[in-house]
Amino acid sequence: MSLVAEAFVSQIAAAEPWPENATLYQQLKGEQILLSDNAASLAVQAFLQMCNLPIKVVCRANAEYMSPSGKVPFIHVGNQVVSELGPIVQFVKAKGHSLSDGLEEVQKAEMKAYMELVNNMLLTAELYLQWCDEATVGEVLEDVDQCCQALSQRLGTQPYFFNKQPTELDALVFGHLYTILTTQLTNDELSEKVKNYSNLLAFCRRIEQHYFEDRGKGRLS
Amino acid sequence: MGTVHARSLEPLPSSGPDFGGLGEEAEFVEVEPEAKQEILENKDVVVQHVHFDGLGRTKDDIIICEIGDVFKAKNLIEVMRKSHEAREKLLRLGIFRQVDVLIDTCQGDDALPNGLDVTFEVTELRRLTGSYNTMVGNNEGSMVLGLKLPNLLGRAEKVTFQFSYGTKETSYGLSFFKPRPGNFERNFSVNLYKVTGQFPWSSLRETDRGMSAEYSFLSMCGPERCLISMLQFPIWKTSHTVKWEGVWRELGCLSRTASFAVRKESGHSLKSSLSHAMVIDSRNSSILPRRGALLKVNQELAGYTGGDVSFIKEDFELQLNKQLIFDSVFSASFWGGMLVPIGDKPSSIADRFYLGGPTSIRGFSMHSIGPQSEGDYLGGEAYWAGGLHLYTPLPFRPGQGGFGELFRTHFFLNAGNLCNLNYGEGPKAHIRKLAECIRWSYGAGIVLRLGNIARLELNYCVPMGVQTGDRICDGVQFGAGIRFL
Repeated sequence: MSLVAEAFVSQIAAAEPWPENATLYQQLKGEQILLSDNAASLAVQAFLQMCNLPIKVVCRANAEYMSPSGKVPFIHVGNQVVSELGPIVQFVKAKGHSLSDGLEEVQKAEMKAYMELVNNMLLTAELYLQWCDEATVGEVLEDVDQCCQALSQRLGTQPYFFNKQPTELDALVFGHLYTILTTQLTNDELSEKVKNYSNLLAFCRRIEQHYFEDRGKGRLS
Repeated sequence: MGTVHARSLEPLPSSGPDFGGLGEEAEFVEVEPEAKQEILENKDVVVQHVHFDGLGRTKDDIIICEIGDVFKAKNLIEVMRKSHEAREKLLRLGIFRQVDVLIDTCQGDDALPNGLDVTFEVTELRRLTGSYNTMVGNNEGSMVLGLKLPNLLGRAEKVTFQFSYGTKETSYGLSFFKPRPGNFERNFSVNLYKVTGQFPWSSLRETDRGMSAEYSFLSMCGPERCLISMLQFPIWKTSHTVKWEGVWRELGCLSRTASFAVRKESGHSLKSSLSHAMVIDSRNSSILPRRGALLKVNQELAGYTGGDVSFIKEDFELQLNKQLIFDSVFSASFWGGMLVPIGDKPSSIADRFYLGGPTSIRGFSMHSIGPQSEGDYLGGEAYWAGGLHLYTPLPFRPGQGGFGELFRTHFFLNAGNLCNLNYGEGPKAHIRKLAECIRWSYGAGIVLRLGNIARLELNYCVPMGVQTGDRICDGVQFGAGIRFL
């Protein structure tokens, strides 16, 4: 978004508090949603849960056409519509909620770098797997392995990537890893790669338990 | 004996210049008989031969069907009349550029003393005609290319193709038309099209890609007769069209600020519907008629032949015209419609009715009446609209007999309502709902007739009964179109 547009949106957004009826739209589970879209939607849901903002999930067959940018998920808050994790984080920040405010500049840069890593490696792997599924899958799996290694190293034994507080990076990583681990694909090699890193598995389980089951949300949507 | 040349009998209008098409006010031409032909007029004649000059790819059987009546003529005046009618029928086929009729006495060995030969000299249309236009409109320019192949296989089949390439949208249409030989009103056509539309009053953009197959015929018997006598229509032919249409519709928001209700309708849907339309038209002209009436009834059933939209839709239009003193005309019109969705899914914004605008209830902005959300009009599932008009010639009649005849002064009263119905309630509740919060308007203006297809209006309107949410256009309003309330 341009600077002017950003400033405008923040002005408008900051004026109103987070309403009770905020909704998140995604495609239908089961028969319609794709791997990458599912990961993105989970990431946004996890992020909003971490910010303690109530959100209701609605599944609609035409969700991607409803979205202003053509990508899912998008949230409908008041009379604003915002799509994709990046802009949603900005929007939520304008309303005064942020997970990464406590970080120093260096850490913020690092967080952005890891988010790009996840987007480049894991997202590409998911897209590849859902559309191609060919012989060059070896290279894709290599990349995934490298990405998971980097994430695992950064996480170490901490509960979250940056000290004890979760950030949007945690939400993004959780979204992707959880989707990879739980979606049934023709090829199980991707989830096998992730399962090699026990601290990442524990990380996913921890977030699932803390932000989804404990909050009385029931099973993850 | 002299020959009678009955060339190009143009229909003469009964009063004033008439821009109607052929056959609109066809008057029979009386030819002054010469002394010798006076005898012929009362004498029995027999049409022995009918010749055709100039046929190329046209097949014989369709020609024979159109001119069969000529042989039944008993005297000269009848021969001329029947030849004239045959000429009209041949021109209506749309395959000849020109048809001239020659009536001559019969020469040759088998000629009877009262025998006549009728010769039709025809010029066929070219195999391919094309047109190229550029159009400039609301911030948009486009090139329109048209191709027409008349009389493709010799039996008046016609293929037309139109392609429009614009700065914003591209659309095209291909249509194949085939009349039944001998019965032109029974015809069949198949269309393929892609049409895009932008509707700023709803912040909606719609792209339709579809195909349709339709069959038209005329009828004079059955329930229409009862209907005709009930409404005291003069006996007139009823035209029916049965159509199947399959459309892939893509809806989208026109701008970032579209309301969420419109955003929820975005996406793709498939509509497969069967429809039937009936038209009874006894007016003398479709634009500014002086007398006669029009009844159009249209019903559409979607969902039973596939697709994911399911509804039944009913739509009617009634217009009555009566000529009064001083060359003025009183006209009353009434429109109405209802859309009933079948099943659980709510109706789609693309199927609902809209009301308001210079061609419907004047004094209100285009389609800006009824249910709306954040300034975007969503249409309604049921509506009615009525209008009373008085058309008079311009005051002091400038340009009488010439240009001034195209204009009319116009006093009107329009009223109507549009709403969504809860189909769980009974008809009484529906009528009550449609009768409350009626919007209406009155005013006066000038109407200009454009050919036989369209009209322009410039009116001063006073809208009344305006409800919250409606957008009005009081004061001067300009309208152009083909179908006006």
